[in-house]
Amino acid sequence: MVIGMAAAAAPVVVHWLTRPRPMRAPLSTIRFVREAVRQRRARHRLRDFLILAARTLAILLLAAAFAGPRWNRPPLVSDDQTGSTVRVVVLDVSQSMAAVDRGMQALDRARPVTAGYLKYRRDLKANLILAAARPEAVFDTASSNLESLREELARCRVLPERLDVNRALTAAAEMLTPTDEDDRRRRELVVISDFQRENWGGARFDPLPADTQIQLESTAAMPPPANLAITRAVCRPLGLQQDRVQLEIDVGNYSTSARKATLEVALGESVFRLDTTCSPGQKTSLTEEVPVRTTGWLWGEVRLVGVDDALTVDNVRPLVVELREKPVFALVTRQPATLRPSASHLLECALVPDKGTNDESSARLVRIDPDTMDQQSLAPADLILLSHCGKLSDESVQLLTALLRRGRPMVYVAAETIDATNLQRIAKAAGSGLQMPVQFLPLGRGQYRKDQFLANVDRDHPPFRVFGDTLPAVIGRLRFSGGLSSQRIQAEQTFAEDAVLATYGDGTVCLVLSESDAGSLAVLNADLLASNLWQTSAFVPLMDELVQTMLSHGHGRDTFLCGEPLLARLPIDAGVAAELNVVSADSSDTSATPGELADDAAGTIWNWLAPDRPGVYRIQRDDDTVFAATVVVPSAESDLSSLDADVVQNRLAAGREVYFRSAGDQSEGRQDAWKWFAVACVLCFVAEIGFLLAFRT
Amino acid sequence: MTTQVKSRFLDLRALAALAHMRFTTRHRVEGAYSGRHQSRQQGGAGEFVDFREYSGSEDLRRLDWKVFARLGKAFVRLHQEETNLLCTLALDVSGSMQFGDDDRTDRPGSKLAYTQHLATALSHIIAGGQDQVGLAVLGRELMEYFPPGSTATHVARLQVVVEQLATEPTTQMAPGLRRLFERSRRRGVLLLMSDFLMEDLDDTFGALRLFRHRGFEVILLHMVHPEEETLPQGAAFRFEGMENDGALSCTPAEIRAAYQQRFAAHMRIVRQLALAGGCDYRRVSTAIPYFQTLGGFLVERVG
Repeated sequence: MVIGMAAAAAPVVVHWLTRPRPMRAPLSTIRFVREAVRQRRARHRLRDFLILAARTLAILLLAAAFAGPRWNRPPLVSDDQTGSTVRVVVLDVSQSMAAVDRGMQALDRARPVTAGYLKYRRDLKANLILAAARPEAVFDTASSNLESLREELARCRVLPERLDVNRALTAAAEMLTPTDEDDRRRRELVVISDFQRENWGGARFDPLPADTQIQLESTAAMPPPANLAITRAVCRPLGLQQDRVQLEIDVGNYSTSARKATLEVALGESVFRLDTTCSPGQKTSLTEEVPVRTTGWLWGEVRLVGVDDALTVDNVRPLVVELREKPVFALVTRQPATLRPSASHLLECALVPDKGTNDESSARLVRIDPDTMDQQSLAPADLILLSHCGKLSDESVQLLTALLRRGRPMVYVAAETIDATNLQRIAKAAGSGLQMPVQFLPLGRGQYRKDQFLANVDRDHPPFRVFGDTLPAVIGRLRFSGGLSSQRIQAEQTFAEDAVLATYGDGTVCLVLSESDAGSLAVLNADLLASNLWQTSAFVPLMDELVQTMLSHGHGRDTFLCGEPLLARLPIDAGVAAELNVVSADSSDTSATPGELADDAAGTIWNWLAPDRPGVYRIQRDDDTVFAATVVVPSAESDLSSLDADVVQNRLAAGREVYFRSAGDQSEGRQDAWKWFAVACVLCFVAEIGFLLAFRT
Repeated sequence: MTTQVKSRFLDLRALAALAHMRFTTRHRVEGAYSGRHQSRQQGGAGEFVDFREYSGSEDLRRLDWKVFARLGKAFVRLHQEETNLLCTLALDVSGSMQFGDDDRTDRPGSKLAYTQHLATALSHIIAGGQDQVGLAVLGRELMEYFPPGSTATHVARLQVVVEQLATEPTTQMAPGLRRLFERSRRRGVLLLMSDFLMEDLDDTFGALRLFRHRGFEVILLHMVHPEEETLPQGAAFRFEGMENDGALSCTPAEIRAAYQQRFAAHMRIVRQLALAGGCDYRRVSTAIPYFQTLGGFLVERVG
């Protein structure tokens, strides 16, 4: 650059040296010369200036073309530095690093860059952290054994996990923290990643020592390659008959143009095909209802057909669904079966309309007296209903609570004053696992609720969602009587799963649904017989939808992410751990047993520290599948767009000095730069000729 | 017996070729003696004054046949009624007249030298034609003035003065001309030799009009050096003014066209002022030998 500047000064120097030395001569007509010079001076000055400027600029551009100047400031970490140094290199091995651009994975582009920072240098100690959902450091601390680090670098592979940036930075910070007050080593952190927006948006460099030199090397392809991905695939059984399922599939189009997508859904032995058009930069949701003829656990996958994009692992997503037999209900009530009409009879009619027509339907609902209720009597029930059950004994409360926590859904129809006490005892017995948003209170002496109408209804969720646009007309006719008073426990806090689904005009709760560990509890605050609900066409579909919702509660929580801890509580009828084993649906998967099974007070737990392979996993007892779950690649890894350098250096750095370099921009920019310099140099010479022609006399 | 020193500008050998030429005037003149110039005074032959060699353009009735028969040469008789020419040579000695002073023999000399040649020759010719010649040296003011005379001594003295002329840095001629006008008692011919590179051009021609109003015939010889017309050839020059008007560096090639435009415009202005003032105007290039210029001038005067 210095030489270039000196060369740029050459035309100026040549101009001054070769300027003709004027000859002194007397002239009688100097007056006319002066006038002529005055006339020509401005024009010639301009011409001379333009020509000199064009020549100087041409020399500068020529020098720049050869010198390839670095306009950016020098990197913070390089081999030029000397002295005792501790360096931690964090290499991103999350799923997005498998994106292929121009035939090369991002990880393969990252390997030589990383190796450059692990070259031997005296007084350098380094460590390599392979960062994904959990950071895995090669050594516990920085070491001078750089050769081993390079070997690990050569062996590392992309993991089907997301990148937990802050965990990786925290791990690096621990290694870079000074060991004592005399530790004056230079501290360097090098991060090689694709700086995916989803992962890096919340990165924080705070844990790092203040004097750490931070250098970020981006191996992201520019522009980001196009990617089409299945980001969500859920299968829900529909109806109490469970003869059909609803497929809910999200397809993300991470490209700049709309794309047509064909999806092939393989579920059990059935295959379905769906077509859609995905808008650019958006997720497109498909919903399809398909019939099924079998029951039990079904598994399969959703696959994008005919798509070959940057990341192929997200073109397929596993799928599981459990299709139950027609549910068996246990109705805990003190009302005799012969009492008609009665609330219990109304429930019986709503849930099993054909009860009594045949043995099968008769067996689907069992009346149980609270005093004779035990584990055995409740075991066959898929759902427990309580209505007019009087005061429950402590044993009954404990039994019901245990079943609730272990996944047995429960519907409590609160009509009597004693029901408030029962609910409080159940909530107390369930402990912190059951967090109801409301507390039911008995009415005062002489008080009675009558003709309450529904003021607020959650129309976006079951059970009221089933009515669709007719909901206002439906609930407008409903009048409720009886029931309890209610009081909000924490008005500001909302629970994702615990929802007040309907409230009366006086502000008391009509219907609330709460989670309790693996189970769920719904409370319908009304005396069914005194209300007109059973007299309307809304009663049966409302109960049907409510029960179905509770029976399918927990579906969707059978999907786990690769790299994230998997903890699933198996159904209570699954059996003990010793009888069970975990199998992968992928027969080619010969890896070690995925996770471990253990029993606890509430049942059996499947625990897997870090699932390392996507797919369907089944818990089998003998040859029967008692539970199934999917392990999937985090959908966030499908969006391959990267953070801008400005965002990383300014916003994320938060005042720290950070050097950010993108390998793709650097090489291409430098390749192109000299061409433009050369072209500009030629244009300067052409301009000089133009000036000479324009100003010629 | 005194020996008159001949001026170095007096080339008798060259002037011998012009011996038959006379300086004439187109206008009626007022002269002290009878001469070939038509007098303003009316009347017949006056008292015989002298013989004068026949110039070839005069009336043959004036020829003295007896002298012709005796000597074989034609002479005319001068009488009182025929007056001679009173010609005043006014020479510009401003600094700009020194331009062109070059030792190189292949280059024309300075305008002043040319003027000196021309004035010396004219004084010889005028005196030889029995006319009277005077001299005025015009610088910042009237530096020298010799009223018209015709004696050999007078003419020799004039020629010496002309030979010793030196320029002085001045850009004004009008004050000198006015002074000359005041001192010129009798009408005649004013022959001004100048390069007219003065600042007071209008005042100068105003002073010349005074002469015209008095009845003088004013003849202007505009002296121009060839390099004044085109500028010297060369890459770069630092031109120094010759009349204390500063210096200037430039490349002649870049300004030649514009300069020539301005110089030509100046020439036109001088000519127009001269003609508008009733003066005879002649442009004299110092590139042409003075002798050739003089011959052409005299022929032109004869008409």
